[in-house]
Formats: sequence, C-alpha cells, structure tokens
Amino acid sequence: MGKPKVAFYWCASCGGCEEAVVDLAEDILKVVEAVEIVFWPVAMDFKVKDVESLGDGEIAVSFINGAIRTGEQEHMAKLLRKKSGLVVAFGACAHIGGIPGLANFVNREKIFDWVYLNAPSNDNPGKIIPQEKTQVEVGELTLPKFYDTVYTLDQVIDVDYYLPGCAPPPDLIMKAVEAILSGNLPEKGTVLAPDKALCDTCKRKTTKPEHASIKEIRRVHEVMLDPDRCFLDQGIICLGPATRDGCGERCINANMPCRGCFGSTSRVEDQGAKFLSALASIIDMNDEEEIKRIMDSIVDPAGVFYFYSLPASMLRRRLDI
Amino acid sequence: MCTGRIDPQFVLKAFQSGADGVLILGCHPGDCHYKEGNYKALRRFHLLKRVVKQFGVDEGRLRLDWVSASEGEKFVEVITDMVATVKKLGPLTTAKEELRVG
Amino acid sequence: MQIRVGVYICKCGTNISENIDIDELIQFSSRLENVAYVKDQPLLCSEDGKNFLASDVAQEKPERVVIVACTPKEHEKTFRNTLLRADFNPYLFQMVNVREQVAWVTADKAAATEKAKAYIRAAVKRVTLHEPLEKKEIECNTDVLVIGAGPAGMEAALLLAKAGRKVYLVEKNSFVGGRVARYEEVFPKMECASCMLEPKMDEILHDENIELITSSEVVEVLGYLGNFSVKIKKRATCVDKEKCIGCGACYEPCPVSVRNEFDYHLSDRKAIHVPYTGALPNVPVLDQGHCLRFAKTDSAMVQEALDLGLITQEESENYKKQDCTACQEACMFDAITYDRQDEILERNIGCIIVAIGFELFDPSVLPQFGYGKIPEVYTGLEFERILSQTGPTGGKLFMKNGQEPRSLAIIHCVGSRDKKHKEYCSGVCCLYALKFARLAEKHAPGAKIYDIYADWCVPGKDNQEFLDSLKEKKNVYFIHTNLPLSVAVKQNKDSLSVSCVDVSGKENPLAADMVVLCPAIIPARDTSRLSEMLLITSGRDGFFAEGHTKLAPVSTNIEGVFIAGCCQGPKDIQGSVAQGAAAAGQVLSALVPGRKLELDVIIAEADENSCAGCMTCIGLCPYKAIMFDKEKKIAVVNTVLCKGCGTCVAACPSGCLTGKHFTEEQIFAEIEEVLK
Repeated sequence: MGKPKVAFYWCASCGGCEEAVVDLAEDILKVVEAVEIVFWPVAMDFKVKDVESLGDGEIAVSFINGAIRTGEQEHMAKLLRKKSGLVVAFGACAHIGGIPGLANFVNREKIFDWVYLNAPSNDNPGKIIPQEKTQVEVGELTLPKFYDTVYTLDQVIDVDYYLPGCAPPPDLIMKAVEAILSGNLPEKGTVLAPDKALCDTCKRKTTKPEHASIKEIRRVHEVMLDPDRCFLDQGIICLGPATRDGCGERCINANMPCRGCFGSTSRVEDQGAKFLSALASIIDMNDEEEIKRIMDSIVDPAGVFYFYSLPASMLRRRLDI
Repeated sequence: MCTGRIDPQFVLKAFQSGADGVLILGCHPGDCHYKEGNYKALRRFHLLKRVVKQFGVDEGRLRLDWVSASEGEKFVEVITDMVATVKKLGPLTTAKEELRVG
Repeated sequence: MQIRVGVYICKCGTNISENIDIDELIQFSSRLENVAYVKDQPLLCSEDGKNFLASDVAQEKPERVVIVACTPKEHEKTFRNTLLRADFNPYLFQMVNVREQVAWVTADKAAATEKAKAYIRAAVKRVTLHEPLEKKEIECNTDVLVIGAGPAGMEAALLLAKAGRKVYLVEKNSFVGGRVARYEEVFPKMECASCMLEPKMDEILHDENIELITSSEVVEVLGYLGNFSVKIKKRATCVDKEKCIGCGACYEPCPVSVRNEFDYHLSDRKAIHVPYTGALPNVPVLDQGHCLRFAKTDSAMVQEALDLGLITQEESENYKKQDCTACQEACMFDAITYDRQDEILERNIGCIIVAIGFELFDPSVLPQFGYGKIPEVYTGLEFERILSQTGPTGGKLFMKNGQEPRSLAIIHCVGSRDKKHKEYCSGVCCLYALKFARLAEKHAPGAKIYDIYADWCVPGKDNQEFLDSLKEKKNVYFIHTNLPLSVAVKQNKDSLSVSCVDVSGKENPLAADMVVLCPAIIPARDTSRLSEMLLITSGRDGFFAEGHTKLAPVSTNIEGVFIAGCCQGPKDIQGSVAQGAAAAGQVLSALVPGRKLELDVIIAEADENSCAGCMTCIGLCPYKAIMFDKEKKIAVVNTVLCKGCGTCVAACPSGCLTGKHFTEEQIFAEIEEVLK
C-alpha cells in the first residue's frame, strides 16, 4: 500500500496557516516522508484536474484553511470533501471564520463600494466593480461569486476535525498529524486542542484576584501594560477566559491580550456572548447610569468579542443588510 | 432561577430561532430574591444591547424591565408595549433563511 | 434513542378546557417525538387526580413525565410528591403552564391552542434532557447564636433554651436588657420597666442552656445553615465573674472618674464600674480605656506634648501608665486580676438570630433644635435616664442646675418622615412622647407640658385610650404642626424659647425650661458590619431586610440567619418580643435535633476537569458559595450554600459551571422548540 495521500488548500485566509506548516521546521521532513502530497497550491504545482481525477475518498486527509466567502472556495471545499477520507478545518478562519469573518458586519455591496470606489487610495474613474461574468473579445471571462456572508468551513461541508488557532501552533499540528497517521483519532468533530480556557495555563493567573472587579475598561494603547499582571485585572479586555487553551500564550507572552483565535471550549456555543456575560458580570457597578457609561466606553464590543468567531456565532452576521 | 441566570446566549438563541423580540423581566433592583442577580442581568443587558445593535437587531427588540410579582398592571403594560414595539418593527430577518450558502 | 415520555393534560375543571381545545392538544402531543402516551384528567390536583397520576405512572412506567396544567408555583411541588409516590424521580418531570399563561390570557381559542402546543413541544423536548436528581442530606448542629440581649434577643434565647437548645447569647455591653434597661416606665400602662424585665434577665442568667457572653462581639462567621462556626471577641474586663459577688467595694477607691455612657454622659462613673445599679449580671467591668494601668498613650508622645507646652505637668500624669491597684486591694474576694487579655471564643452553631437593636438619629444634624448646643435640649433616651431612679438624678426631674423645670416641650418627628433625612415613621415616638408627658406631669406637678406633634400614630389596643387620657390633662398642651417641622429652639437668658408654626400657620412662641426631642429610630452602628459578615442584605433605610414584608418578617436572604426587634425596623417592646419569639420558632423548625438537613438539588456544579480557574465566578456568588481551590486552581461550589440562582453559570466563560435542572442544553432546547 502506498503512502497516505494528503492535500492542503487555502480559502479566505491570509497565508499564515501555510506558514504554520512550514514552521514545523525539521518536523516537516517527517511529514513529507510519511505521506504523499497530492495537492498544495501554495507550494507545489498541481492543478484542480489532478484532484478531480482522484477517486472519491482517495485522499486520506485534506487540511483546508481559510473561511468560505466565494463560489470558488465553496466549490473547492466540496471537491476536496468528496475526494477525502478526512477533512481537517485548519486554523481559525476555517474553524470559526477568523478575521475575514468580521466582514459579516457588512455585505458584498458595502465591501465593493469601499474597496473599489470609496477607499481614499482608489483611482477608479470608470467606477468599475468586479463582475462574475465579463464579455471580452475572446469570449466570456468569469470570476468566482463573492458572497454577502463569510462562512466557516463546516457551514459548507462536513468537517471531521478542527485545528484551531491563528495560526495553529506547530505542536498541535504535529500531534494532529501523528494521530491521523497512527489512526488514533478522537471522536469526530473534535477540536484538536485542550478543552479548557486559556487561563488554565496562563502565567498571569496567579496575579488575578479572586474577586475580579473592573471599574474602567481600557484599550491597550491607553495604558502602560504590566507584563505580569492579568489583563482583565488591568481593565484590558482579554478573551482568555472564553477561549480554548493550547496556543502557548503567544500573544500573552508578547504582552498583548488574547483575542480568542482558538474559539470557545466545546461547552460554549457562542464565544462572544459568553465572554460578554463574563466581562459584564465582573464590572463592579450597580448604578445603571454608571453601568451604561462603562459599557459605552467599549468602542466596538461586537468586533472585540467576535474578533475571530463572528461567522460561527449564533447570529453569524449583521441581519439588517 | 433568576435574571442572573440569563446567559446572553439565551437571548441570541431566541433571535436565532426566529424570535422577533426578547423581553427580560426581573425583580426590581434591591429586591432580588437571590440578592443581586438582577444587577448582573442589568450589566449584561446594557452590553448585550450594544452588541445586538451591531448585529443589526433594532434596540426595541431587546428590553429589560423590572416587574415584581405584585405588579400585575405593570406587567400587562410592559408586555403590551413590547408587543406593539415589535409589531411596528415587523419580523426580524430570520437568520436561517438568509444564511444559506451562496 | 427513544425516551418514553408520558403527557398528562389537566382540564382544571373548565379553566383550561374552556379556552383550549383539549382534543387537539392530545392529538398534537401524541405525534411529538418521544411521546409514548397522552392522557387528560378533569382535575389533576384533586385527590382523585393525584391518585390517578400515581397509579398510572406506576403502571405505564414512563421515563419522563410532562404535566400540562397550571403554574408550577401552585402545583409543581404537589405533582413532584405524587410522582415520588409512584417511585418516579420528580426531576424527570416538567410542568407546562397553560392556565395562567394561556387559557386565562389568550382570548381566542384557536390562538390559545396554538400557544399551548408550542409550550408542550418545548416541555417535551426539554424533559428528555432532564437528569434524575437525588436529594442529599447532611448532619447539622442545632445550637443557636443570638446576637444582642435586648428584649428580642432575650425572648428568643429563653424560648430556645426552654426547648432544650444550647444558646450562645452574645452581648456587646456588660449587661443584658438592651435599651429597655434604661427606661423607668413603659407605655401605655406605665409599667415599671425594671420590674417587667428583671425576671427575664434573671432567667437568662440562670438557664443552664444559655451561655451568656457579655462585653463581646461576633467577629467572624463562616459556614451555612446547620454548620456555622463563629468567632467571638470577648473584651478583657479583669473581673472574675465566678469570684465576684457584686458587692461594689471596688468602685469607691478607683481614682478615675469619667462620663457614664450608660447615662448618655449625664453622670459620672469610675474606671471600674457597673453601668447602673441593678445591672445584670452584677459584675463590675474594668474599663481598660480609662484605667490608669492601661493608659494607651505612648510615654514619648506625652513627654513631647509636655515639652511643647501642650499639656501641663499635672495633666501629663493622667496620660502615664500608673501602677494603680486600688480596686484590687479593695476586693475581698481576689476577683480582680490585671493580666487579662481579650479572648477569642469559638463556637459551632446551626442558626443565628440577630437582635442588635437601634440607635437614635443624631438631632444635632438639624441645628434649629439646638441639640448639642443648648444644655437643656435632650433626646428621648437621655430623658429616659433623667426619669430613671438609677439615672443621673436618681429619678428626679431636674435640669442641669438641679432645679425642677416649670415647663417642658416635647417635639415629635425629629428627622422622621422627612425626605431629606429619614423618610419613614418610627412608629413608637408618639407613644413614648405621651409617656414623657405623663411622667413629667407626675414628677413636676403643675409644670406646663407642650407636646408638639405632626400626626398621631397610636395604633394598638390600649394606645388611643392612653392618648385620650392625656388630652384631658389641663397642663398638657398639644400643638399640631405640619411636616417638615417648623420649630426653632433658642437659648434665652432664663429659659428656652420654642417657636413653632402650627397647622393653621399661626406662630406659637413658647417658653420652656427643657426640650425633649423624639428623633427617628435608626439602625444600630453594628448593622452594616454584621450585614457584611453574615452576608444579609439591608434595605435602603439601613435596617436588615426581612425575607418578605408580610410573610417572612424575621427571615433574611441567608438561610439559618434570622432577625428580630428594632434591627429589622423600628418597633415597640411588644413587637420586638414577638419577633424574638418568631425567630425562635423559625430556628426550632429549621433545625430539629436528630433530623438531617435536606439540601437543595437545583444548584450549580463546577466541572473540575474543565475549569481553567479563571475566577470569574468567585466574586459573583451572592452566597459566597464558590471557593477557589488554591491547590487544584479551580472553582468549587459548596453544595450547602448554593441556592441555585445561576448567576455564576451564566457568567462562566468556558461553560464549566452547570446549573442543575436549568442547563444550557435544556434551556436552549426550550427556546428552540417554543419558537419553532
């Protein structure tokens, strides 16, 4: 029997997840040795027809990163799903929508208006906006459909496992690869990271007072951040308590609060709402006007609480546009 | 159970499931059967209200009010008012329909 | 997997069936997933109905039960008990309220039926997610701590002791009796207060089940109903109560004389003293704050003050520690030892009754009354002492100059019923003002007595008669004023002038030798400290908040902690004693020796394997039921203290806390189904 076939694909993403694969360093050699890569557009020259020519389920595992926001991405995700035994949603965008998912606060029209017409750096006197179909002399050109809404991978296809993170850290990737190669797999649908909140391993936990109480919310650029003290205790929004552990506190160690890229634990359906609840609860104020004042001091609450998870949230997107 | 048990997820779940409005009624501040659950509800409510607005849900669709067990009239008043507000706003775009991929 | 759900629909006579199509509900319900059978009953809460339910459940053996009937407030308990009879776990049951929430409020029958269907669909889905919950029982301590030995506290302690309970009665003063110990006579029957009180005080002192701990205060309370442990700080009084016979030989030689707090500084006492003749227990107290042996001032500071000329040589002596042993030498029974230290006593108890009494609103806040500036202006409590035989004047009505007053003004509602101060009516001032008038008339015959009142508050059996009897007195003048009081007291050369505007708008210039103010009754100083320590809430007026104004007047928000007397709100002695008795009754039924304590089952639970120890929940719990396990670094819910409010569950950002019987899953299911 040949080596197991593996595919990598990227959808709406920044490329960081591809870097993460390369970040395996020497370990990548082990992976390459153990598997046969059949598709990896960013690194190797394969064509879509190569995938199409494979039998259904012939690919052992496809790692798909990025959210789904265009017709082409949806098409490729569905194709890979058909050809693969396992699909792993790789990274925050595939898992919970990620940063591209923040576009769900607007719609296609607004995005196009800004990107092609109104952004100050534009020079588009003809007010040309991309069209799905354009007639040129040699025939019809097509572009993938740009959706109003950004989707997580599992809203489009069936996903077997999730590797969370922006981007997933090398140790979790290696663990996942090893589990897949050895066939020692957890229950379908599992997120391949610890199922506890980030605070569990956060070094700053020891500085957090038992009775957390916040009287003012501050933004990171407004204060000198104490590199050892719990962010929330400093009045800085840190999504750590509502975010799955396993990242190795990369942001925290760089003195930046958690923004929630690992998504929630398995017991929470809406990461942003749950964080909102926790944060509001520890605002130490009972006077309604003061409560409003403090809540209003959070500039963009939905944007902060759903920094990575908007498409995976209960409401998924702005409803009135 | 107490307004303090209200997880903002419940409110979003209701909107997600097709509710056109969500009305939270609790004991008056200072009169909480569980001491101060209603203050926790109040804090969550004001933040949640801002968040749902960003989701394009009109503010009138989410309301918190205090009605004690003995305030039958106020209860009727608040409900009637809420129903009128929501009727005026019409149905909330149901998430499920709009969110079919494509 | 199928779960066998049995649905019972109650018609509630015609209450439900008149407005909801029962047949349609039956058809609808039987088509729902998991529903095994649907049955209707004319009146499920009747004896017949309950018997049917019990036998039918025993026969059908459903895995879950849904009862479609009235509000759970009314009959959830009834049906839980009925299901228990059928050996069915009562938490595998869900009630649907189609009476109050549907039949009675939705006029259109078709709409009502649709609404009822949605509720049933939600309940059926929810109930399949229910888990069987088992009641737990724990051992408990039935001893009682009573804080405050006034009329309320004494009554509670005595009743409990008579029922065989061990009672620890903690009193901050060195004597029992509370404020009443200061009174001469009490309204309306003008009974002698000490004659009334002494037999009770005597019983308190001699009951074997009561440990009276005087000169003490509770400094720490841990635990919960049935299992409290408390720390009590007992001030060192330097007198051995076992040896002391109360002869009083020790006061005479004491060289230190200070103002007596018991008499509100209207008399003097020695550093070693009993606050008044007849105080019980009759054991003197050595006041370390004033005794020369215990002078607290640092000697270097005294020297510095002397060097700077701030004090004289003579005065400096008073600040220095002196090896005075006058009282010890005078004691024939070796009862006095100076090396006593404050002690911390630890006691384990099951219930706490707080009866710490009241204080008076400080009238000096209202300068128009002249209190604190004009010597002959007194508060009601000060006046009580002047009238008392054990007081500064030996029971003679004298002014500070030793003369009998020829006129006296009594002013009601000082600081009361006033939005700027205390909004409430203290309820007892009218009556004690009348008592003062009666006593003043007796002590200073012929003196003019002006009673300046705003309204009469004299409810109760004998009180109107009491008022009427005073209205007949020729030398008692009643002046009816409006609120807020328009009264000004000024010091003239010979007497005081009291000008007051009556209801007709007429200004009445009165001359009075003495003025007695009736200030609002306010919470005792210790109220907020105890409120924090015991976690019991206070109302906006500062008094402890009762569980329910009408139905739970001596309960608090904390199980096992009760309140009695004026700390709950202003009241007379009768009311305080009644509350003391009520609190004792509550304690007797809350904890019964030999009976275990049944714990709530609908509580929060922390999953120790998934908690990250973020501590969001810890400070949120109003019952302090969540502890942080410092070793495991996780939150732990105390199953006895938790009341199941769910505040922590809603806040837990990683979903490790579960609210039993109100889980996220159950509530989500209910929301989804009702909106389907």
